[in-house]
Amino acid sequence: MTASDPILSVRDLTARIVSRKQIVDAVKGVSFDIARGEAVGFVGESGCGKSVTARAIMRLAPEGTRVELGGSVHFDGQELLPMSEAAMRDVRGRRIAMVFQDPMTSLNPVITVGAQIDDILRRHTGLSGRAARARTVELLDQVGIPAPAQRADDYPHQFSGGMRQRVLIAIAISCDPDLLIADEPTTALDVTVQAQILRLLLRLREERGMSLMLITHDFGVVAGMVERVNVMYGGRIVEAASVDDIFRAPTHDYTRALLAAVPRLDRHGVAP
Amino acid sequence: MKRVILVRSMWMAAILLGVSFVSFMLMRALPGDFVLAAAGAQMLQPEVLEAMRRDLGLNQPLIEQYLSWLGAVLKGDFGTSFVTHQPVLHELWPRFLVTLELALIAAFIALVMGVSTGLVSARLRGAADWIVRLYNGFILAVPNFVVGTLIVLLVGLYFPELAVLSYTPFLEDPLGNIAGMILPAFALALAISVTISENTRAAVLEVSNQDFVMVARAKGLLPRTILWNYLMRNALTPIITVTGLQVATLLGGSIVIETIFAIPGMGQYLFDSITSRDYPVIQAIVLVAAACVVFINTLADIAYATADARVEA
Ligand SMILES: Nc1ncnc2c1ncn2[C@@H]1O[C@H](COP(=O)(O)OP(=O)(O)O)[C@@H](O)[C@H]1O
Ligand SMILES: [Mg+2]
Repeated sequence: MTASDPILSVRDLTARIVSRKQIVDAVKGVSFDIARGEAVGFVGESGCGKSVTARAIMRLAPEGTRVELGGSVHFDGQELLPMSEAAMRDVRGRRIAMVFQDPMTSLNPVITVGAQIDDILRRHTGLSGRAARARTVELLDQVGIPAPAQRADDYPHQFSGGMRQRVLIAIAISCDPDLLIADEPTTALDVTVQAQILRLLLRLREERGMSLMLITHDFGVVAGMVERVNVMYGGRIVEAASVDDIFRAPTHDYTRALLAAVPRLDRHGVAP
Repeated sequence: MKRVILVRSMWMAAILLGVSFVSFMLMRALPGDFVLAAAGAQMLQPEVLEAMRRDLGLNQPLIEQYLSWLGAVLKGDFGTSFVTHQPVLHELWPRFLVTLELALIAAFIALVMGVSTGLVSARLRGAADWIVRLYNGFILAVPNFVVGTLIVLLVGLYFPELAVLSYTPFLEDPLGNIAGMILPAFALALAISVTISENTRAAVLEVSNQDFVMVARAKGLLPRTILWNYLMRNALTPIITVTGLQVATLLGGSIVIETIFAIPGMGQYLFDSITSRDYPVIQAIVLVAAACVVFINTLADIAYATADARVEA
């Protein structure tokens, strides 16, 4: 494999969610590549299948449901879909990491934030005890938590939403993943905090050269963050283009409608 | 924490004061008193009965009787039994220890059975869930004393050589004593274990749906790490609460179970003393039982606050 091979190559991915109440075909055959170090945006209205696509790559099903996956997910020379669950656990958190939408509910409320970084380090890096804690403090520092050594012993409820999302980003980057999937990482945050979190993601991605899959329903978020955009609608990718082309000349009516919904001021996105 | 303990202690004192007052008045409101109960079928002259009441101080206004009892208790004097003329504490203490042992063993059995079946039911779902829930529903519908009586009957019928149905004092034969406690403790624990099981199941299911569990899986953590540090740690607070409340009811249940299994504990003692209107003994038992309940609930609150940093006890 060469450096120009995509780190992630998804072909004809389908996801059918089977729950007690219903069966939903949430993803109906999507194909895309993400190159090493590349950032790709996924944009589409709520319910179009962005999160299900992201979880399909990680092979995660929401509690109480079974997700039947089809097609192929090729990641760094391996086929993920046929992998055993144990092998998949070695990929999750270490090779592919994920940041979720709601920082208020994404941290375990009864253990300290430090312990929630320690546990993933112990799981994947072989660090433990003091060495793990030193790395945890370093990570909290890197994501911009002031006084990280003290804050590591605090509980999630002692942090603001923006600070919690920083903690979750620290967890995600803790094992140096090759691909970071950020699923609407700023949707639940105040506008000013949104910009800070996006800047942090941009900086970390550049420093570490990791690939980024940035999911959002808001075109304002992808500008300045990603090189290419996939527009999703109804479980399919309906338009794929470079970010410049999309803003200059969207071809799909649906893309035009999404772009029209973005307030003018935000169109230039966030400065690095 | 110091402030919490202070506030808690004042609460405890207020509750105990209230309980002792109410039980004092209720006992006196029952028809008949100790003198009539002691006289039994004998037809004594009213003057004789009056003289007996005067000797025992039962002719004083109720509020005065209560206050003098309270004053003595505050000095550590629980009085003497009307029936045996022995100091109440002297008689109560060994029986209290017997009931305490029974309750502790029952609480342990209930906790182990309840938490494990609740966990299995919530995590495995499917057939295991159905079996546990069916069993829980069945046990809940059957009163404690039915289970206790059935155990006594069945064991007596099929394993008459087993000594499990006779009470052995702990100091005589510690192992025999504990062996004899297991069946009654089991009968006592069954209903409570079902409540703990149902609550554990609900708590674990609720926590399973939380976002942070998905995050934990996305971290690639091992299933056992997720089970203990994410699911159980969070389900613990509701489990502690319901366990505290349920264990407090063990004392009431033990009256029935002690009678069925002929265990010389506080329950039997209470039953006998109510029958004979032995007021000082009744008052002491009520006070000790209430203190135990309040103490258990305080322990549960402290455990709750320790398990969840968000709770300011
Ligand atoms: N836990 C679930 N159970 C059943 N259906 C689900 C579940 N999660 C998502 N879906 C369905 O899958 C489709 C895509 O959802 P999702 O990927 O979450 O959308 P979004 O693009 O907003 O992230 C929706 O139609 C939704 O109803
Ligand atoms: Mg989503």
